Amino acid sequence: MQNDVNMYNFFCKLAAFHLKASFKIMCYIHTISLEFQKYEQVYNEQLKKGTVTQKAQFEYAWCLVRSKFSADIRKGIIFLEELYQNGNEEGRRDDLYYLAIGNARIKVGVLMFESVNSVLRFLNFVCSVAILEYSTALHYVRTFLQIEPGNQQVQKLETLIRKKMEKEGLIGMAMAGGVVLAIGGLVGLGLALARK
Amino acid sequence: MDEQILTTLKILIIGESGVGKSSLLLRFVDDNFDPAQALTIGVDFKTKKVTVDDNTVKLAIWDTAGQERFRTLTPSYYRDAQGAVLVYDVTSQQTFTKLETWLDELETYSTKNNIVKMVVGNKIDKENREVSREEGMKFARRHQTLFIESSAKTRDGVQCAFEELVQKVGIYFCL
Repeated sequence: MQNDVNMYNFFCKLAAFHLKASFKIMCYIHTISLEFQKYEQVYNEQLKKGTVTQKAQFEYAWCLVRSKFSADIRKGIIFLEELYQNGNEEGRRDDLYYLAIGNARIKVGVLMFESVNSVLRFLNFVCSVAILEYSTALHYVRTFLQIEPGNQQVQKLETLIRKKMEKEGLIGMAMAGGVVLAIGGLVGLGLALARK
Repeated sequence: MDEQILTTLKILIIGESGVGKSSLLLRFVDDNFDPAQALTIGVDFKTKKVTVDDNTVKLAIWDTAGQERFRTLTPSYYRDAQGAVLVYDVTSQQTFTKLETWLDELETYSTKNNIVKMVVGNKIDKENREVSREEGMKFARRHQTLFIESSAKTRDGVQCAFEELVQKVGIYFCL
């Protein structure tokens, strides 16, 4: 009996804890999306009028590259590339920095999900996409460091990207290796059966 | 030696462009000074363990960009900060006058209502001072913030500023 009460108390506490935690997360997501909406709205309004200021485009792009969705990040990257080409001189370093961040943040996992339908495309993805996005990020970082070699903030970003690249490159290679092994195994099995 | 970390505190550094926010942080965390300190992009981030009154806490310090371009964006980093360092340059009256705006911004966007504020007058090693120590102190008293003058270049007051802030933050948030 006492045990039951204890268990009951425990589960009540657990439930309360989870409620509190999920409420906190919800509040957080809410404020993030509010911010996002604010800048998106400003951008869209200006777009309707026909002229988008660089400020509005930059602020919206800044939101986009911080998004957790790859589609948003890609959109942000396009905006930043545009700003980098046409924007004013003093803002270009900011554009470069966020171009690197955007490219480094694109989630490989989402792409993996998209290309699960065929082994070939999966292999292709592992070899190209992961490397491509990170090397684009590194390219931007290097361009930045050519202009400001001593910039600590950007040096830190470079180390971070290299670490991520290494980690995910290894995972990618392991996965590709696994697939190759599996195919090899199947082929071997087929050959063995055929010989019999 | 007691190395157990009690908690992590989020500290912000805000203020006009070029007053020495990143230099203060570099001095405090790495005990270094870069005369050609680059302009911060968006926000930079450093952590440091400090021990105050026998308690070790980890500081997560968010160093924000002071440039106009980031003015509307940086407040989104204010969320959940427990302490804020407001920096001005003692050789520039304008950066001191602007503190009022920074305080307003902090009031508007910080989510914790008892956030501990500290006003720091930086660059006291320079000779062409425009803001006196008394003016700074008066401002701090009026807005009920902590106050210290510092020089990231000569180390003066830097350690002290952060320690005092942590002590005060600890009173509100840890005990």
